[in-house]
Amino acid sequence: MKTLNRSLWIVLALGVSGVATAFGQVPDAPPVDFPYAGNRTAVWVVAQLHILFAAFILGAPIFVVVAEWLGYKNNDPKYDRLAKEVIKVTVILYSMTALTGGLFIFVLLGTYPDFSTWLIKHFFLVFAVIYPLLFILETIILYTYFYSWDSMKGAKKGRHIALGILLNIVGTVTLFVIDGPTSFMNTPAKAAGDLSLVEFIQTASLWDKMANFSWMPLNLHRLVGNVTFGGFIAGLIAAYMFMGSKTDEERAYYDWMGFVGNMIGVGALMLLPFMGYLLAYELCDYDASICPYMMADQLSMFFEMQGAMIGLIFLASNYYIWLSLKRIQGVEQVRISGFVAVVVLLMPAIMGYTWKMFPPPEWQSLIVLGILVVLPVVLSKVPGLKNFTVSAFTMIKIGFLMIVVADAIWMTPHGFVPTQGLATEEVELPSWAGELALMPAKNAAAFTLVFLTVVNYLLYNRAIKRGTIMWGKIDFASQFVLIFLAFSVIWTMGLMGAVRSLTRKYYHVYNLVPDFTPEAFTPTLAYSAWWITGVTIVFYAVVSFAILVTLKAGSPKPATSLASSVPVEAK
Amino acid sequence: MANQSFAKSVMKKTTLGVIIGVLLVVIAQQTHFPPVFQIMFFLYAMLGALVFILLDAPAMKRLEGLKALGALLVFYLLLSGLYIAGASILPQFDPEDEKGKIEKVLKLRRAQTELGKADELIARAKELDERAKAISKQLSSLGADAKVEVAATTSAGGAASGDIVALGKDQWELQECYNCHKLYGQGGKKRGPEMDNIGNLMTVDQLKEKILYPKSWKAEGFDKDYDKGKMPDKYKDLMFPQEIDALVAFLASLKDESVKTPKPIKMN
Repeated sequence: MKTLNRSLWIVLALGVSGVATAFGQVPDAPPVDFPYAGNRTAVWVVAQLHILFAAFILGAPIFVVVAEWLGYKNNDPKYDRLAKEVIKVTVILYSMTALTGGLFIFVLLGTYPDFSTWLIKHFFLVFAVIYPLLFILETIILYTYFYSWDSMKGAKKGRHIALGILLNIVGTVTLFVIDGPTSFMNTPAKAAGDLSLVEFIQTASLWDKMANFSWMPLNLHRLVGNVTFGGFIAGLIAAYMFMGSKTDEERAYYDWMGFVGNMIGVGALMLLPFMGYLLAYELCDYDASICPYMMADQLSMFFEMQGAMIGLIFLASNYYIWLSLKRIQGVEQVRISGFVAVVVLLMPAIMGYTWKMFPPPEWQSLIVLGILVVLPVVLSKVPGLKNFTVSAFTMIKIGFLMIVVADAIWMTPHGFVPTQGLATEEVELPSWAGELALMPAKNAAAFTLVFLTVVNYLLYNRAIKRGTIMWGKIDFASQFVLIFLAFSVIWTMGLMGAVRSLTRKYYHVYNLVPDFTPEAFTPTLAYSAWWITGVTIVFYAVVSFAILVTLKAGSPKPATSLASSVPVEAK
Repeated sequence: MANQSFAKSVMKKTTLGVIIGVLLVVIAQQTHFPPVFQIMFFLYAMLGALVFILLDAPAMKRLEGLKALGALLVFYLLLSGLYIAGASILPQFDPEDEKGKIEKVLKLRRAQTELGKADELIARAKELDERAKAISKQLSSLGADAKVEVAATTSAGGAASGDIVALGKDQWELQECYNCHKLYGQGGKKRGPEMDNIGNLMTVDQLKEKILYPKSWKAEGFDKDYDKGKMPDKYKDLMFPQEIDALVAFLASLKDESVKTPKPIKMN
C-alpha cells in the first residue's frame, strides 16, 4: 500500500508539473472540447468526485480521533480497532483525493484556460503557497499518524491522539482555505463606496476576497457534512464487513461498528439542515434574487428532489434505530411520557404557525420551541400525570407517522413547475394552502424530523440501560439500510454540490465573470441526476474496492485477544 | 406461519394505506387542490403504508458469498434507477428558454471583451467571404456584364431601434424582476411590491434612482428589518445605461390604478 501511495504521488507530481509547464509556454491556448459530456459537465464530474474523496479524508479523521480517544478513555480496544480500520481506508482514499485533485486541475485548465488563469491570479498566494503547504503538512501528519499507530501504544497513546487532533486541525484549516476561492465564486466581496464590483475586486486584498459572505457558512456546512459523511461511510465499511463475516464474534464487532458509524452520521446529520439553512440565508442576504432562483425558479425542482432525499435519509436512519431496538432483550419494558407523543403530533402545526408569526431572525420562535421540548419533561414529573406513558415501540411508530407527515410538508412545493413563470392554477397550491410551501412550514418539518430522531435515540439509550444488546443478532436488512444511507448521502451531496454551483447562474464568478460558453445554462434535473448517479457509483466502486483491499483481503484475521473484548451479549 | 402473518399484515396495511390515500384525495378535491397534489397525497399515504409494512417485516435471512454480492448489485441498480426516475418525473426546466435569455443578457458584455471582438471579426469575415463567393458564383453564371444585385443586409442588432417600452419589458424578463414583483397578476408578491401602478407613484428619475441605489426608496408595508434593503444593489454594475433607461421607461408606463401598488417612501 505504501508503494502504491508513493507511485500515485510521483505520477501526480510529474503530471501537474508537466501540464503547468506546457500551459505556461503556450499563451492564449484555446480550450479543449471535451467529447460527449462537454466541458462544463467534465469539470463538474471531476470536481464532484474530488470533493467526495476530500470530504471523506477530512471527515473520517474527526471520527477516527474521537473513536481512538473513547477507546483510550474507556480502555476498550474495539474503539481502537474501529479507528484503525477507518484510518486504513482513509489512507488509500487520501491518494485518490490527490489524484482526482490533479485531474481536476488538468480538466479545468484545459477546458476553461482563461478563467482558470484569472482565478489563480486572484488567489495566487492560496493556490501556489498556502494550499500546497497545508496539503504537504497534512500528508506528513496523516502518514505519521497512521504508521505510528502500533508503536505509540500505552503511555504514548495520549501523544498519538494529540497527533490525530493536529491532523484534524490542519485538515480543517485546509478546508477553510480552499473554501475561500470556492465561496468567492458564489459571493465575491461586495464593492465598497462608489467603486463598481469589477474595480473593487481589482484592488481588494486577498482577505477581502476570502472572507466573503458565504465563506464561513460554507466552511461550517462542509465541516458538519464531512462528519456526517465520515460516519455513514464507517457504517458502509461495517455493513460490508458484517456481510462478509464468518464468525459470530466478527459479526458482533461489525454490528457494533455499524451502530457507532450510524450514530455519528445521524448526530451530525441533525445539524446539517440548519447549516444548509445558514448558507442559503447568507446567499440570499448577499443577493436576494438568489433565493427565488433556488426556491421558485430553475432550481426549485432540485430542492424538491433534495426534500425527497432528506426525507428518505431520516426515514432510513430511524428505521435502523428501530432494527437496533428489536435486538435488545427487555425493550418491551421501556416506556416514555405520553406527552412526548402529544408534542410530536402537534409540533409541525405549532412550529409552522410560530415561525409564520416570528420568522428568523426574530427570537420568539426559539422560546416556543424551547417550551415544546421541555414541556413533556416537566409534565411527566407532575403527580397524577406521571403514569401517562406509552411503550417504546408505540412511540417510535407514532414517530414514523410524523416523519412521513414532516417529509410530506418538506416536499410540498408551491407548484409543480420548473419555474414560477410557468405557474398556472392547475399545478399550484390553492391560495388558502400557500403557507405549506413557505419557509415556516419547511422549518417546522425540519425541526420535527430532528426532534423525532433525538427522541428515538433517547429511547434507545433507555433500552440499553434496562435490557441486553444482542450484538451481531441484528436483522440482516439493517446492513442494507446502512448501505442505503451511505449511497443516499453521497447522492444528496452530489445534488447539492450542483445546486451550489448553479446558483452562480451564467457566471463563473457571480455577477463578475460571465461564462460566455454555450454551456452556461442550467441543465435539467433529469440530466443532472444521471451524472450525479454516475459520480456516486464511481465513488462507491472505489470506496468499496478500498475497503475490500485494506480490510477484507489485506489484513490478518483479528487476534483472539481483540475478539474477546467484544462480548456477543453486552450492554 | 410467520410468512402468513406477514402477508396478512401487508394486506391489512396496504388496504389501510389505500383507504387513507383515497380519503386524502377526496378531501384534497373538496378543498380545491389540483390533481397533481391529489396524486402526491395518495403517494404519501402509500409511503406511510410501506413504512409500517417494513416496521413489522420479519427478519431477513443472512446472505453470503455470491448471493450477497448479487443482492448488493441489484440493490445499487434499484437505487440508481429510483433516483434517476424520481428526478426525471419532476417537471424539467427547458434549457432552450434560458439559452436565449443568456444570449440577450450577455450580448453587450461579450461585445466588450477581447474574445467578443475577435468573434465579431470572425463572424464578419465569414459573412463577407460568403457574399464574395455568392457574387463570384453569380458572375460566372451570368457573364461579366451581368448586373449584380446585392441584397442590403441589416444587422441583427438593428432591432435595438424598436420601441423602448418593449425593450424595457424584455429587461423585466431578463433581469428576472418577476421573481420578486408581481405584475399583470403573475410573479412573486411576498418579497417585493406589486408593480402594476408604479408609473403613477414614481417619476422616471425616482425609478432610476431606486434601480441604481435600491436603498434610496422602500415600499410601504415592507417595514420589517429583514425586508429593508432586500432588493439587490447589483443593477448599476450589471446593466448598461440603455438597458436601465428601457426598464425605467417600461415601469413608468405601468399605470393600472385598479391594482394597489404600495406607496414608495423616500429613505434618507
